[in-house]
Amino acid sequence: MIRIYRQLLVAQIQAAAQYRIQAVLWMLFSIIRPVIFLAAWTAVSNAQGGSVGGYTTSDFAAYYIALTIVGHLTTAWNSFEFEFEVRQGRLSPKLLRPLHPLHYSVVENLIWKVTTFLPLMLVCAVIALTFQVKWSGEWWHLVLFVPSIVLAAALSFMIGWVVATATFWLQRINTVNTLLQRTSFIFAGQIAPLSLMPTALQVISYVLPFAYVLAIPAEILRGGVTIERGLLYLVGQAVWLTLAIVAYRFAWRAGLREYSAVGA
Amino acid sequence: MIRYLRMFRAFASTEFQFEMEYRANMYLSIFEMLLVIGTSIGAVLIMFGHTTTMNGWTLPQMIVLLGVYYVIQGGVSLLFSPSFERLMEHVRVGTLDFHLLKPVNTQFLVSTRHLKVIRGADLLLGLIVVIVGLVQVGEQVGIAQALMFALSLVFGWTLVYSLLLGLVTLSFWFVRVENLLAIFWAFTEAGRFPVDVYPLWLRVSLSTVVPIGIAVTAPANVIAGRMDWVAVALLGAGTVLTVSIASALWRWGLKSYTGASA
Repeated sequence: MIRIYRQLLVAQIQAAAQYRIQAVLWMLFSIIRPVIFLAAWTAVSNAQGGSVGGYTTSDFAAYYIALTIVGHLTTAWNSFEFEFEVRQGRLSPKLLRPLHPLHYSVVENLIWKVTTFLPLMLVCAVIALTFQVKWSGEWWHLVLFVPSIVLAAALSFMIGWVVATATFWLQRINTVNTLLQRTSFIFAGQIAPLSLMPTALQVISYVLPFAYVLAIPAEILRGGVTIERGLLYLVGQAVWLTLAIVAYRFAWRAGLREYSAVGA
Repeated sequence: MIRYLRMFRAFASTEFQFEMEYRANMYLSIFEMLLVIGTSIGAVLIMFGHTTTMNGWTLPQMIVLLGVYYVIQGGVSLLFSPSFERLMEHVRVGTLDFHLLKPVNTQFLVSTRHLKVIRGADLLLGLIVVIVGLVQVGEQVGIAQALMFALSLVFGWTLVYSLLLGLVTLSFWFVRVENLLAIFWAFTEAGRFPVDVYPLWLRVSLSTVVPIGIAVTAPANVIAGRMDWVAVALLGAGTVLTVSIASALWRWGLKSYTGASA
């Protein structure tokens, strides 16, 4: 398996080297929304005399820059790509290969994140300079952040695959994707840090998986949690990841039986 | 002129018939848009749960702004962006030849030939949001103000059109410009807040490079009482200038088009 992955990695790096500009352009999608909400919250915070519900203007900056990084590192586009592949009949040849299609997208996903990480950090530095950012974390926040971001990226990736399998039944999953994205928009901490949400929405956020992908790693990276809380969050992430993997295995097997190969 | 209007009606009706073939898709589209607009309003409400103003904008004014954002976005995706998507493909494949041979203004043809009728629903939903916001604003909106609002909306829409025309014109030289369009759409998201909340570098790029900032904020500013006739006239002058530049660029770019077999 390691040998296969090494080969896939080399191939994917070569492919990525051809589309450098494109990769950096797509990165903008990870950046724009957090910056927009950061600007808006800065305006709100200024109107309220420099702080809102325990968040100072520079806390907002730290949170949203963390959210940009987390959002970027947890991006997963499998559901869009998979739908396209099924519709175009490109899935069938992939199924004939001895390696599960999931592994190809793991590598694609990883390489894209690795190759765009440096430009992303540059942009984040510019944002940090524009807004007065202040990092209020300890060293152990960074230590906690490492497993947290890995779990978050894996969770987001697996959610993407669960949604992707819906293509077996529905052919077009635009609406499913929109539904998911908008739910994530509300409950993943994109509009506001979770503690600034109305209580009812906060409870829902902690139950649904979306905050475990975005808000929670971002809050850890910002340095906004105690150790106990941070560990508890990691457990929550692990639980959701397990659920997503189980759901995926189940859905994939059932879906393949449904699959009739468009264009075959 | 009447000939062009008749032609446009023919385009619209064929596209409408095409859309009606996919009913289920149409309903899903409307459902998605309701979801998007609903959650966006939710976001604004959550923020205004912590404050009464944002950079001088009150909640009802923000709702108007959000409505304008969806009107502009819906308007552009209704009329221009579907045609421009085809145009890029025509340039790449070389089938623009067929358009050039037709005895009509080519810029008109490539800008209006295709419509995505369903996006008209977005435009209507946006208008409903605007009206809801207006009712909340409470103060009487006079005829003058309504006129200024409509004018600045048209100007804003035209500004975005000229930018898009300029971008797709680049495809004569660079062939693949879908990525530039993707960036444009990414940037439009910034239109959901008034342009004045952004830091300087972003404000400048949102007003000049991607005029979505002006297109959305100007009409909402009229309602907020922050735009007078002079400002609207200036916006109009700027719009005319931008359209002329985009149109000149288009004619210049067309000279670089080499056709299918070349």
